Amino acid sequence: MTANLPGAALLLDGRADDELTLALAHEALVDGLSADGWAVDDWRLRDEKIAWCTGCFKCWTTTPGLCAHRDGGRKVAERWVPSDLVVFLTPVTFGSYSSELKKAVDHMIPILLPFLRKRAGETRHQQRYEHRHDLLVVGTVPAGQADGPEAQTFRRQVERNTYNMQPPRWAVGVLEQGTNDAEVRAAVNALLAEVGVHAARDAVGAGRSEVVA
Amino acid sequence: MKTPQTALLLVGSPKPGESSSESLGAYLLEGLEKHDVTTQTLHVTKAVRSNEAVEELLAAVASADLVVLSFPLYVDCLPGPVIRALELIAARRAAENGTADATAGPVFVAICQSGFPEADHSAVAIEICRNFARSARLKWAGGLVMPEGGMLNGQPMSKMKGRMRSAAGALDLAADALATGRLVPDEAVRLMAKPAFPPFAYRFTANWGWRSQIKKQGEGASVDARPFA
Repeated sequence: MTANLPGAALLLDGRADDELTLALAHEALVDGLSADGWAVDDWRLRDEKIAWCTGCFKCWTTTPGLCAHRDGGRKVAERWVPSDLVVFLTPVTFGSYSSELKKAVDHMIPILLPFLRKRAGETRHQQRYEHRHDLLVVGTVPAGQADGPEAQTFRRQVERNTYNMQPPRWAVGVLEQGTNDAEVRAAVNALLAEVGVHAARDAVGAGRSEVVA
Repeated sequence: MKTPQTALLLVGSPKPGESSSESLGAYLLEGLEKHDVTTQTLHVTKAVRSNEAVEELLAAVASADLVVLSFPLYVDCLPGPVIRALELIAARRAAENGTADATAGPVFVAICQSGFPEADHSAVAIEICRNFARSARLKWAGGLVMPEGGMLNGQPMSKMKGRMRSAAGALDLAADALATGRLVPDEAVRLMAKPAFPPFAYRFTANWGWRSQIKKQGEGASVDARPFA
């Protein structure tokens, strides 16, 4: 695997509360990236005023590339575009992202162009920017649910996102609540290695933890 | 599944005005009303705006025999405010009916429309709805996916019935089934997923439409502007 040179990482923190496993995963992500020299834009979304995307599509028609609302929603594209790695952190919510994370992810629309094109057998929106971002998604589920239906849907959700976001490298991990600090760190480091964060790769040692499915 | 006396439509489009999600949901409600089902409509974005509105939403769900969620696909998923509403509904039901049997709760059905010509884009969104139903102890009655939602463009189905023949047929079948205590039939799912136009024609028309809108509304900005490059 080719290692990523340290760059800029945008961490979209979709935690709704201070659940411990997500807190540990957050710390492990920040530590793993920072140790490798990455600049981490750590964005705690629950503290940010971001209006729901209304699907007005003015970011395609009136102010191309810019959300029409001048709140945190406009900052999503601004912070997403220059990053080299985008990280989602979320409780798995019915197999998807928390509403805190989704309020930001919905504002990635201006990163795309409105125009449709067939690609790999399906219709996709064209990309507005040439620069691509690796994608790492970490979710948590209740204990014993790492292979349950919501975790399985979650992996499919992330995979479908990659069809449209087109990250060169991506990884998704599901952690069970109650996982201890050492296991969370091992799992997060393994995931970081999958997207080429080389200090994390070196730290993985024996390989992936079983809590990452 | 019991025969519903009341149905609640949750319109999941965050758009303030007319929406294709509401058109589809309203058409399904019309079908239910023919079977004497009493209907109510709430807009999800308004329903999660204040504590008072949230309580109204939760009370409406609690008193409905059938809950219909109609939403647009947003980034391969449900829109943010819809997820917020589902989080709130699931949390309230968990608090109040911790051990309740799913068959005792309201019936839940989902309609997802997307701006793509392939129905597969929405498959995960429907899975998410099914997972929600399990989590909130609602009886899952099925999900309908309509591609090419852009063709409907928020207009009432009655005005578009020619072009929306498949979708209208699907919703008619679904309404008849749900009103008589049955699950959404496979034939309705199949009909709903059928694109009204060939995909290449839809892409051509959609791209032409976007160019036309940008020309009218673009204030001279370049369509492929890269403000953060």
